[in-house]
Amino acid sequence: MQTALKLKGEEYGGELIQLVSFNLEQEEYGINVLMVREIIRMLNITRVPNTPAYVEGVINLRGKVIPIISLRRKFDLAEAEYDKRTRIMVMEVVGEMMGFIVDEVSEVIRISEKEIQPPPPVVSSGIEQECMAGVINQADRLLVLLDLERMFSADERRMFSNVA
Amino acid sequence: MAIDCEDQELLEGFLAETTELLEKLDDDLVTLEKSPEDAELMNRIFRSIHTVKGASSFLGFDLLVKVTHKTEDVLNRLRKAELILSSEIMDVILEAVDLVKTLVSDIKGGDIVERELESTIAKLIPFLSESATEATVLAPVFASLQEEKSKAAPTLPGEKPQEALPQVSPPPIRLKEPAPEKAPLPRAPAAKGEELADNSTVRVDVKRLDDLMNQVGELVLERNRMIQLHSDYQFGVDPAGFSDDFGKLSKRMNFVTSELQTQVLKMRMLPVEKVFKKFPRIVRNLARDLGKEVDLQIIGEETELDRSVVDEIGDPLIHLIRNALDHGLEMPDERLAAGKTRCGTVVLSAAHEGNQIVISIKDNGRGIDPDRVSRKALEKGLITEEQLAVMGNREILDLLFLPGFSTKEQATDLSGRGVGMDVVRTNIRKLNGIIEIKNEIGRGSEFILKLPLTLAIIQSLLVEVEREVYSIPLASVIETMRVNQEEFHVVGGQEVLKLRDSVLPLLRLQRVFACAETGADRRTCYVVIVGVAEKRVGLVVTRLLGQQEVAIKSLGKFLANLPGIGGSTIMGDGRVALIVDPMGLIGGGEAAGVRKTA
Repeated sequence: MQTALKLKGEEYGGELIQLVSFNLEQEEYGINVLMVREIIRMLNITRVPNTPAYVEGVINLRGKVIPIISLRRKFDLAEAEYDKRTRIMVMEVVGEMMGFIVDEVSEVIRISEKEIQPPPPVVSSGIEQECMAGVINQADRLLVLLDLERMFSADERRMFSNVA
Repeated sequence: MAIDCEDQELLEGFLAETTELLEKLDDDLVTLEKSPEDAELMNRIFRSIHTVKGASSFLGFDLLVKVTHKTEDVLNRLRKAELILSSEIMDVILEAVDLVKTLVSDIKGGDIVERELESTIAKLIPFLSESATEATVLAPVFASLQEEKSKAAPTLPGEKPQEALPQVSPPPIRLKEPAPEKAPLPRAPAAKGEELADNSTVRVDVKRLDDLMNQVGELVLERNRMIQLHSDYQFGVDPAGFSDDFGKLSKRMNFVTSELQTQVLKMRMLPVEKVFKKFPRIVRNLARDLGKEVDLQIIGEETELDRSVVDEIGDPLIHLIRNALDHGLEMPDERLAAGKTRCGTVVLSAAHEGNQIVISIKDNGRGIDPDRVSRKALEKGLITEEQLAVMGNREILDLLFLPGFSTKEQATDLSGRGVGMDVVRTNIRKLNGIIEIKNEIGRGSEFILKLPLTLAIIQSLLVEVEREVYSIPLASVIETMRVNQEEFHVVGGQEVLKLRDSVLPLLRLQRVFACAETGADRRTCYVVIVGVAEKRVGLVVTRLLGQQEVAIKSLGKFLANLPGIGGSTIMGDGRVALIVDPMGLIGGGEAAGVRKTA
C-alpha cells in the first residue's frame, strides 16, 4: 500500500498526497482522497437481513443500490446516535461501490509522504489495526491513515459472496 | 491453423448467415423425411446447403466445401428423384450436417482444426454411385458403423460432439454382424444447437426500431412540456391550473414510459421457435432408438419470450420430452392392446397467459402411477414410510424431482440416472418459474411450466413485515389470504396451514429476516402462498401493500447470495425495498429446519 500511495501521490506532483480526514469516536482518521467518490448526508437506509452486524443496509444512490457499512461497528466502537454531522463516505473498495458511515468529515489535507510513519506495534490486533496503513503526526494532531481494502479479509470477502 | 480472413465483417456475416441456415436445416430435414414429396421443401434444403457451400468456398474454408459439396450431391440426386429418401440416407445427411456445424463452430472459435471428414464423406459416397437407388442394401453396414460409434463414444448430454467425432474413424466399409439400428449421436444436436446459437448480437425488426424512435420522440415532447410547466409555475403563471396540468402530464408520462418499456422488452424477445425447432430431430432420433412411433405436434412456436429465458428453457424441455417419450409413451403393441392408436402423440405448446409464458409438454401415454413412484422413492431411501403416509397425490408426484430419483432399474444411456428432472427443477427455479403436473393414469400426463416473461422488470407484490417493506415476485405468488393466527397448526415443529385439501408449510418472514418485533401481537395476518417449481409454501406477513411493477437492481457482489433475498428495487419515494427470492427462502427454510432438529 505504501508504494501504491506513493504512485498515486506522484500523479499529484511530488510526494504530496491528499487525504480526507474524518472523525470517529473523537479519533481522527485519514483516507486517500482518490478512493472517495462522494460524501453524502445520512438518508434512509434499508436494513438487509442476515448480514454481518456492521452492514447497516443499502441505500439508493441515484438509481444504484449500494451497501452501507457502519465503521463504528466494524471497529467495535460504541454505538452513537446519528446527528446532522453524520456522513456517508461513498468509496470504491475492491471494485465495489460502498458507503461508510462516519461521525463527521472535517477537511481535505495535504501531507508529504515523509510524514507517514509506520503504524506502532501493538499488543492487540483488532480489525482497526489491520486497516491501519500508517500514522501521521502533525504538530498537535494525530491522524490514522486507513486502507479500507484491507478491511475485508479474503475470507470475509468470500463469506460475503457465499452467505448461504 | 488460425483463420486468415482479410475481411472480418465478411466473416461475421458468413457465420451469422450460416448459423441461421443450419438451424433451419435440421428442422427442414426432419420434416422432409415425413413428407418426401414436398418439392418446395427439398429445393429449400438444397439451396441452404448450396449457399453454405458457395460462401465457404468464397472464403476459402476447404474443409467445409468438401463436406457440403458431397452432401449437396446426394441432395441433388434426391431432388432429381434418382434416389429414394430413406431413413438411412437421412441419417447420413444429418450426420454430414452435424459435421458442418462442428466445422462452423470451429471457425467461430477462431481456430480451424483438422477434422476427420473422410468417414462421413465415405458414407455419403455410396449414395452417389448410379446403382445406389436402393439404399436399403447398405443399411446394415451403416447401422453397424453407427453402433460402433455409439459404443466408442457414449455421448453424454454435456459432451462436446467434437470429441466424439474424431474417434469415429473405422474403415468406411467393414462387414460386421448386422446390429439393431441406432440413430447417430442421439444427443449431439442439442449440444450443437446451443453452441451455434449466437445470442450476443441482436437482429431487430426495423419497424420495431422505428416504433421505438417514435416513443422516444414522445418522451422528449413530454419532457419539454414538463420543463415548460415548471417554469410557468415559477413565474407564477396560473398556479391554480398547475395541479391539473401536472396531473395530465403525469398520466401521459405514465403512458409513454410504459409503451417504451414494452417496446424495449419486445426487442429482447425471441420467438420460442428458436428452442422448439431442434425438437423434431431429437424426437425422431429418440423414437427410433426406443422403437416407438411418435407424432410430435408443436403449437404456438411464434410465442415470444425474453432471450434470457430462451437460453435457460432448452435443457429442461429436452429432459421433459425425453421423459415423455421414454416413460410416458408405450410401445406400439402395448398401445394397440390398450385400445389406443399405434402412434403416440406428444404435444409441445407455448402460449402467453397474462404476464407469464406457459409451456406445456403433454403426451397421451400411460401416465404416472403414484404407487410406483412412492414405492421407488422408498426403495431408494429418498423418503421414509412416515413421510409417505402424510403425502397427498400431489406431493407424491413431486418426488419425481428429487435428485437420484428414477423408476428405471438400470441406467441406460437415455435415462435412469435420476438427473433429468433435477435439471428441470433447477433451471425452472432459476427463472422463478412454476411447474405443474397434470396426470391421468392410462391416459397420459402433462407437465406445465409457467415462466415470467422477462427477468429485468417484474410485477411484484409489496408486503409489509413489521414495518419493513419487501417485494415478492408476482410470478411466484399463487394466492394470498387473510388468516387468523389461531388457524395455524404445528406439525413436527413446523407451522402449517390447512388449505383446502393440502397442508401448507408456513414461513414467518419476520423470523427469517430477523425483523425487530413492533410489539403489537396481531391476531390476524396475511399468508402469501408462493410456488417454486413444484413446491408451495405460505409466507406469513403483517400486511399486503399492493402490486407494483419494479425494476430489479443488483445488490452488488458484497451482498450477493443472501438467503431469501433476490435483489432490490427502488420505490416511488426513493427508498430501497428488498426483493424476496422464494427459491432461496424455501431452500433456506429447509436448511433451518435441519439445524433445528440437529
